[in-house]
Amino acid sequence: MKSSFCVKAQVFYSLLTGAAFLMSTSSAWSASCCGGGGAATLVLPKFFDSMYDVSVGYEQYHGFWSQDGEHLDDPPGSDLNQFRITPGYAKRINDNWQASIVMPYVWNDNQYAGLSSNTNGLGDATLGFWYENFDDIKCVYAVNSIEDLTPAAYFGASLTVPTGVSPYDDVENSFDITGRGFYRLDANMLLDKTVFPWGLSLSLSYGMYLERDVNQEYGKYVEPYRRKLGNRASGSLGFSYSKTLEELDTLTYTLTYAALKEDAATINGSIDSTSGFDTQSVSIAVAYSTMAKDWIVRAAFNHLPTNDGLGSNFPVTDTITIGVSYVIP
Amino acid sequence: MSFLKSLLFISLILLSACADVLDDINPSGSDKRGDFDSSTIGSHPGETAADFSVFDTLNNTFVMSSELVGADAIVVYFTMWCPICDSHMTHMRANIIPDYPNVKFYFIDYVSGLVSVARASQLDNGYGSSTVLVDDSNHTVTDLYDATMGTTIVIDRNTIVQMNEDYKDGSKLKDILDALP
Repeated sequence: MKSSFCVKAQVFYSLLTGAAFLMSTSSAWSASCCGGGGAATLVLPKFFDSMYDVSVGYEQYHGFWSQDGEHLDDPPGSDLNQFRITPGYAKRINDNWQASIVMPYVWNDNQYAGLSSNTNGLGDATLGFWYENFDDIKCVYAVNSIEDLTPAAYFGASLTVPTGVSPYDDVENSFDITGRGFYRLDANMLLDKTVFPWGLSLSLSYGMYLERDVNQEYGKYVEPYRRKLGNRASGSLGFSYSKTLEELDTLTYTLTYAALKEDAATINGSIDSTSGFDTQSVSIAVAYSTMAKDWIVRAAFNHLPTNDGLGSNFPVTDTITIGVSYVIP
Repeated sequence: MSFLKSLLFISLILLSACADVLDDINPSGSDKRGDFDSSTIGSHPGETAADFSVFDTLNNTFVMSSELVGADAIVVYFTMWCPICDSHMTHMRANIIPDYPNVKFYFIDYVSGLVSVARASQLDNGYGSSTVLVDDSNHTVTDLYDATMGTTIVIDRNTIVQMNEDYKDGSKLKDILDALP
């Protein structure tokens, strides 16, 4: 029975690491003014065949960091919100490979002093593949040898597909935007080490957007040009603690720090100095799993601090996410 | 394989319901701008600009045709005080405005609807020294020029629209101002 705790812990940490990974990379330009609503990849726990996942997110805006890193408030009377529902599915391909898809649906709900707007649409979808560089559970109860420190390592790639509504679609204005309009390839890595009941996880990601043609902006045709968003790097570090309940259900608490930086975009090969951004966030999450490990319910709160200098050219938000995963052995 | 088939099927269903996104899935680089000339009043480059009147944040009346008198052109940037807007406006102030002393530059707040609210945003965002116009609560000017966040319009001394598109990196604006008649 004791060993099952460890198995469950690693399942949990995989899911939570995935959730943290989602948080660390998903909200780039999710401001209602600027589209967004993209998602990242799911992580299917080792030895499981498939997983259905759905999360509901509510993001509220609290101003933004200017390009100089100064925090500025939204206009007086503003109430800017974004809601997202993100269904996903992950499937094991073989013992070490898995694939997944997530496709968010986004609602923008904005109130300014003289303007209100409610729009919705698909966000940008993400296809993901992971390779698990381990063959057995890496969770241990005590560290007795150097091998016991070996983490569970996942290496993967993901493709963001511009299924959302971007400024380059036939849209009326910026409030209709739910995506960025570019394909992006990411190389991803997750490291997860569990010494029950404690866990430590690290996720790193590096992404490159594909250059594209643009011949319209907000529904108006313009002189065609080529645009490419800047490369982006992101990472998160999470600490977890698991508590086994009387009925052998499990609660896991996670604290995660995440950072994201995107370089300046280019227009016809020239740097667009008004673009690019960076941001930092912290999140706390709690997850509950049944003894059978088939249902996992999680809730998370992601916070971007309003302090000057902790981000640039990026909206400051708080996000509450509630998610449910159903894992099939 | 069944997973990939399901994935493809679901994707096609979703995408077929959203024709808009196909512009992003398969972007086009063809020039689809129409031909417009000064014989019509409108917002497209080449057309005669529609005159408009608004207040600025100091409650002064701004009439477009009057402002053009004695100037090479006027430039109006549509702001909602967002991160992108701030980047554009900062860039414009630092890199464009000083080079064109005979061009009048304005930022127009199209979301506040009230002079007092627009003034507060102007000051909060550090644009107290700039002239900020306020579109009314009916969004008259925004609709007149089919504008949105980041839209930059240039109207020359002959009241011809020379530019009406997103600011981006400012290079297009600079090219337009360099080539003013």
